[in-house]
Amino acid sequence: MATPSQGLAARPVSTLDTFQGVLSALAGRYRGDDVLTAIRHIPARDAVFRPMPDWARPELAAAYRSKGIDQLYSHQASAAELARAGKDFVVVTPTASGKTLCYNLPVLNSILEDSDTRALYLFPTKALAQDQLAELHDLATQLDDQFGVFTYDGDTPADARKAIRERGHIILSNPDMLHTGILPHHTKWIRVFENLRYIVLDELHTYRGVFGSHLANVLRRIARVAQFYGSGPQFICCSATIANPGELASQLTERKMEVIDENGAPAGEKLFVFYNPPMVNRNLGIRRSYLNEATRVAKELLAQNLQTIVFANSRLHTEVLLTYLQQAFPPKPGAAELIRGYRGGYLPGERREIERGLRDGRVRGVVATSALELGIDIGSLDSSVMAGYAGSIASTWQRAGRAGRRNGTSCAVMVASSAPLDQFIVQHPEYFFGRSPEHAYVQPDNLEILVNHLKCAAFELAIAPGEKFGIVDLQDLCARLAEAGFLHRSGGNWHWVQEAYPADTISLRSVTSDNFVIILSSSEDDGNLTGARKGAPEVIGEVDFSSALTTVHPKAIYLHQGQQYHVERLDFDQRKAYVKPVSVEYYTDAIRYTQVRVLDIAEEESIAGNATPHSSRSHGDVLVRSQVVGFKKIKFFTNENVGDGKLELPENEMHTTAFWITLEHPLLASLPFALSDRQSGIFGLLHALESMATLLLMCDKRDLGTAVGERPPSPGVETEWHEYTAATDDPARMKEFFEPNLYLYDAYPGGIGFSEPLYRVHDLLLRRTRELIAGCPCDKGCPSCVGPAGERSERTKETALAILNHLCA
Amino acid sequence: MPPSIAPGRLKALQSAPRKPKVVEIGARHGASPEVPAGADRLTELLDAQIKRNEFGEHLALRRWFSDSIGDEAAPDCAFDPAALRLLAPDAPDSITDADKWLFLDTETTGLAGGTGTYPFLVGIAWWDAGGLEVEQFFMREQSEEHSLLVALRERIAERPVLVTFNGKSFDWPLLETRYRMTRSIKPPALRAHIDFLHPARNLWRLRLGSVRLAELEKHVLGWNRGADVISELIPQTYFDYLRGGPPEPLVPIFQHNQMDLRGLAALATRVLALLANPETHGRDPLELFGLSRICERRGEATRARRLYAHSIARELPPDADRAARRSLARLAKRDGDHDLALELWGKMAGASREGLEAYEQLAIHYEHRSREPHRAAALVRKALNDLRRASRISAIAPSAHKAWRLRFQQRLARLERKAGRSLLDALESESQALPGESN
Repeated sequence: MATPSQGLAARPVSTLDTFQGVLSALAGRYRGDDVLTAIRHIPARDAVFRPMPDWARPELAAAYRSKGIDQLYSHQASAAELARAGKDFVVVTPTASGKTLCYNLPVLNSILEDSDTRALYLFPTKALAQDQLAELHDLATQLDDQFGVFTYDGDTPADARKAIRERGHIILSNPDMLHTGILPHHTKWIRVFENLRYIVLDELHTYRGVFGSHLANVLRRIARVAQFYGSGPQFICCSATIANPGELASQLTERKMEVIDENGAPAGEKLFVFYNPPMVNRNLGIRRSYLNEATRVAKELLAQNLQTIVFANSRLHTEVLLTYLQQAFPPKPGAAELIRGYRGGYLPGERREIERGLRDGRVRGVVATSALELGIDIGSLDSSVMAGYAGSIASTWQRAGRAGRRNGTSCAVMVASSAPLDQFIVQHPEYFFGRSPEHAYVQPDNLEILVNHLKCAAFELAIAPGEKFGIVDLQDLCARLAEAGFLHRSGGNWHWVQEAYPADTISLRSVTSDNFVIILSSSEDDGNLTGARKGAPEVIGEVDFSSALTTVHPKAIYLHQGQQYHVERLDFDQRKAYVKPVSVEYYTDAIRYTQVRVLDIAEEESIAGNATPHSSRSHGDVLVRSQVVGFKKIKFFTNENVGDGKLELPENEMHTTAFWITLEHPLLASLPFALSDRQSGIFGLLHALESMATLLLMCDKRDLGTAVGERPPSPGVETEWHEYTAATDDPARMKEFFEPNLYLYDAYPGGIGFSEPLYRVHDLLLRRTRELIAGCPCDKGCPSCVGPAGERSERTKETALAILNHLCA
Repeated sequence: MPPSIAPGRLKALQSAPRKPKVVEIGARHGASPEVPAGADRLTELLDAQIKRNEFGEHLALRRWFSDSIGDEAAPDCAFDPAALRLLAPDAPDSITDADKWLFLDTETTGLAGGTGTYPFLVGIAWWDAGGLEVEQFFMREQSEEHSLLVALRERIAERPVLVTFNGKSFDWPLLETRYRMTRSIKPPALRAHIDFLHPARNLWRLRLGSVRLAELEKHVLGWNRGADVISELIPQTYFDYLRGGPPEPLVPIFQHNQMDLRGLAALATRVLALLANPETHGRDPLELFGLSRICERRGEATRARRLYAHSIARELPPDADRAARRSLARLAKRDGDHDLALELWGKMAGASREGLEAYEQLAIHYEHRSREPHRAAALVRKALNDLRRASRISAIAPSAHKAWRLRFQQRLARLERKAGRSLLDALESESQALPGESN
């Protein structure tokens, strides 16, 4: 897929020497500190070829030949054969290994054999579908437009939709559009559904957790609709390297899946480097800021004229890094910026322009979030710098894969933050470079998710007796939905009896489908209007509901393309934030309070520590309320706190599942520490528990929430809320806990299935957490174990360890 | 691991939002309910009949209405072909046969469309014996849909010219979806589909603001419906009945549907009469103005010009008057009647939207047609002056002000360049003028 991009100027091929120069510059700066904890040399790999299959239509083979492809890589050939044999399968391929051919070849071949054939390609994002469109249009031109290929998503103009439904052989879409735009109107898609032969799921590994659990249910719905129209599509999936691609694919599709995990594509030589910022205070375990260090690494690479992509883990960090790098590499006066930002929230036109700039070399560096991690075609760059661990090994390899020339050397540098996970990875390189230990989990039978999709399914086609989703019998659920007024049973079938359109209110990605738009406050002085036409308010971006309260609360500094905006007003009801451009020397960080109430205990057990049992573990249903109550102003570069403010914002409430540990009073009372140390130790322990939990569950940090709260007198008893109030940010202000619960909750309504596994691996969790804290080289606690020392009492680490010693057998 | 349900805990299972009205749930049926408890009583109340076909049963009833609504009498057997062409330009000539017309209106379980919205009551009507025959099909529960659709299909086959109010974008696509979902009953073939929403908008929205059918009946046809159900409550009323609620609240929905059909039939007659003989039937200059717009849209420029002139002569309200003059000037320009166009623009020029356009048209005329750049420049200066004054008293939106100011300033700059150069230069630059402006 990725053809070598032609830079504006002839670029010298980067060699091992180029990078070794950069690396010794990096290592040389801090003498005595081993900042490069791992340097792996991944040698170039030769291609393994197979001939084009003899059943391939001559015109298709000719079209590929004209693109320079006259034989296949071995994995492409295996995929073609499995597809031909009508099997469902998943191909595991790294970045830039020609995976699109794995599905395009067999699908196009079927269309050329029978022009009634239809295929649906699903990509996790709109941008990826756009990218595939270009590739397929290219093939369509070679084949005299014998097939129609269209994207169908939220950006598709209404007047084009009908033509797409009639004339599209291949529809490129995303699960969200399938869910809200296609399935509820399946009668309009009759031609597609009657002839649906292939469903292609690309970037399969992204369908895990919440999104994956939703997708599994969307696929259950499409299976019903396809069956209704008499078709039974075959699944072709592509995934990045994870430990269980076959398992994930069969959980999502509920089919038996073949797995192709050989890789016949060639690759250039690559260096993979782990960079651990040096300690500045060994006692406190404080390391140099990883953002500053990542900036430095990127600067060294960019200074060698190596085209570089920098990944950050949050929007905020993208903008901070962008600011640093743009300052370091200013454009010539009047010219466009050499370094650009790229993340969700930028408008599509802006993104396309940046992608082009990267391909043709005008853009020398880009600072991105995971938005650029997937297969968007930006060509291949020379180097990739990751500011912080991406959260999973699969993501890290994909980010690293953004740098990689077929000829010449590329380099990937992962700069560790002081987060426990990062430290664990850079100090245990074998964990990373060995066989992928990562499992993608989905929970298609999460009742909250399943019931929501059951509603959508009933809207699409009445539910017949005996229908099942997976192993879940739907009759009982339908009866309950009927009681609640959503369904009505008639002639044995369950029919939808609501005016509302169920898919509209169900988001596949997050808690709510609400987005906040960021609007530039229009100035009355019309000479100052920047780009506002026709008096329409200028929308500069969007943020989703869950991050809105922390990023665009009143008085927040919102960063977009390196520009700072001050939030003048947040219209919560209208989901609008009004901002004005400013230039200040700080950014803002929201303070959030969280409260947890236990609703129902599913299982509970005493923890038999080395003393009499003084604690217990549980999992069950909880209600989580959170509220942003204020913010801090943090100065750039020095990270000083230069002020704060209070905020009154609406509460957010969610019903979910949690795993928790209860520390009984005798245990706490037996600890030889002062009250404030004990409190601090409890929060420190939770910090470390959370880190180990995300590692064990292979989940994103965002998927788990934490809170400390007083244990209720007995479950189910209604008590005033404020009695359980817990501020995870500031233990010093809290009153003493008598018997605290340490909660790790699923950050998603209804839970995504983490609580029960945590309950089961509890012993391992506690042991590993103790290893993490005990093994940490800091003296009194640091961000890598129990949290930053400045915010905790001096004896946090000691206290947390003491508690763990009581808990571990 | 079969999931256990904690009642009330699942957000997704929490009760659906309901309209405030709470209905006592009647006697519940067993595991396999047949028709809802109120169905028999409803049949009695409506004096309806249970119809049976190979797909099952549904409820049907017929009423003949002798009275005509307001002052519109049922038409003779055929319509004026020219008038019909204005409404349905692509339809075959045979649509003038009034006997083939079938009025249709549905009551549905929602307005969202999609595959989960049911047309639980389908009303159709046709002219018969000097009055209107109305027939209604009702699903006593959703499983009766197939039988209902078959019955409707038979009626449409008899009278294949479908006539609706907003049915082109709502009722008919919804019914097509329902037919598709049966997988066995083909959607009926229509000879033509005439929808009266857009003509009604053109004719009466300026006067009435709203073109809801009941409003049109009242203000255009002079007929007051009296008590009527609130449309928004219709789906919930049906759901309440399905769940065993009393059938009485459904009766006004049947009446509402009948009134919609009668109103539609009368409205159709009125619109066709207007289109056939605007000068005699048009009671109001705004109606004439609306007719002109319909004619213009259908490409009947001559007729449109005549009607615009008529409507202007009969004193339109200021907004409509400006719009009519603007359209008339545009048509005159297209016909090469520059004197009329110039006269209209000259009178219109000012700070209104149409007035600014008039300035622009005049400037184009003097710049490109009569080759008087100085005169054009003077007009543009005047326009800028008017614009400034309007902005000072906030008579124009800031964005519109900005856009117009920019347009006029650019034009002025060009004109001043032109006026300053020799005639030869000016002529040369003519060939590079903006395309589309020089006609």
